[in-house]
Amino acid sequence: MSSNRRGVGLSAFSNSAISADQYARHGQALRSNHAEALANQLSVFQAALHNFSLTHAKDIRQNPQFRAEFARMCNAIGVDPLAGSNVKGASTSNGKASSAWAKMLGSSVNDFYFELAVRVVEVCRETRAENGGMIAVSEMRKRIEKGRGIIGGGIDVTDDDIERALESLAPLEGGFKVVPLGSHRFIRSVPKELNLDQSTVLEVIQVLGYVTVSMLRDNLGWERARAVAVMDDLVSDSLVWVDSQASETEFWSPASMHEGA
Amino acid sequence: MATATSSPATPGLTTTPYAPPPTTTNLSSATFTLPSYTSFPPFYTLQPNLTTRARQLALWTNLILSYAAHARLFRLSLSAPPANLLSNPTLHRALSEPDTRAVLDHMVQQGRAEWIPAASRAERPAAVWIYWRSLAEWADLIYGWVDETGQKGSVLTVYELREGEAVGGKEWVGMEEEMLRRVLGVLVKKGRAQIFGQEEGAGVKFF
Repeated sequence: MSSNRRGVGLSAFSNSAISADQYARHGQALRSNHAEALANQLSVFQAALHNFSLTHAKDIRQNPQFRAEFARMCNAIGVDPLAGSNVKGASTSNGKASSAWAKMLGSSVNDFYFELAVRVVEVCRETRAENGGMIAVSEMRKRIEKGRGIIGGGIDVTDDDIERALESLAPLEGGFKVVPLGSHRFIRSVPKELNLDQSTVLEVIQVLGYVTVSMLRDNLGWERARAVAVMDDLVSDSLVWVDSQASETEFWSPASMHEGA
Repeated sequence: MATATSSPATPGLTTTPYAPPPTTTNLSSATFTLPSYTSFPPFYTLQPNLTTRARQLALWTNLILSYAAHARLFRLSLSAPPANLLSNPTLHRALSEPDTRAVLDHMVQQGRAEWIPAASRAERPAAVWIYWRSLAEWADLIYGWVDETGQKGSVLTVYELREGEAVGGKEWVGMEEEMLRRVLGVLVKKGRAQIFGQEEGAGVKFF
């Protein structure tokens, strides 16, 4: 509007400066109102969540399905429990470890995921020589449920819990990543990217149990050299095991190792 | 029972009186549940990747030791391994002899086995002692038993220790004399026992 009516003389300059200033002030007021409203809403919501978690804390800790639903709900409304607890050190200067999440749940749900993450890392390390650092999320779950051989050492978890626990490790840059392969999801604990050929082969192995060079040639139309090169790579990354007692050398995924009778 | 023999010939001779253990081996193998990785075909091929191979050797060691402990097997011979331990007929897979040697070599390195020298120097050893308990553990067990039963200071024959009525049901029953002598050797070194005589009637005194 002010730009339409320019005015005349020198006062036009000061007029435009004044109106720009007024707009800015008004904008500021709007923004702060808005922020205040949001802060109110957030605190109301947090209070509600707090009450909810207090009444249901036991369920959250004990019932894996309930826990998954709860975590999903928090995700849906944009509260990331784990991210919340991870940035605490950087943002709070008083050194008090208090993420919104930890405050709300008395840190027990938080701790649950951290503890689970520790187990996941343990299993990854234990089995690395066997599977080259690729383990199916479902096998991870079985191993964790079995525990470390100590009575009562196992925890009842879901695949979802495991993936969430892994997310909590992200700030450590440990290279733990969940990658889909075929119909399964795998945890990759070595910082290595698979190329397209390699992941194709691993997918085929997930479906058929094993793979041979001529199977790759016939089904994917690869040249022999290409198939051999991919298999050599996978063997040297210890991602597959070799069986040379079949009519043609077979390559097996260590994932099927503990599934047999 | 072994006649008066010099020790190099023992392996050949002791196998004959040891007909009973194989039968017990077969009987108990029926109840021994093989771990699931024994139905994984590549398990029977020595892995070219060294990291994978290390894991494989560890699994094999584990399998052989737990089987031996289950079947009370003290000696594993390459020519006549326990049925289905080194092979899986359902899968038509078997650990080849060179690969078996590699596994046993690994166990020897880990101190869980020891090659039994062949009768002649030219031949490669064809059997191992399996130490599902280490020699030191065996020594402690036997010494503990002697102590418990108040036989310290008295003289026992090696035969009594192996097959006497008093040791019935003990874990080392049926242990071959050669191996038992090694165990006793550990006690002798510690100054806890003394062996008299070399032959069958050899006596042991515990202190």
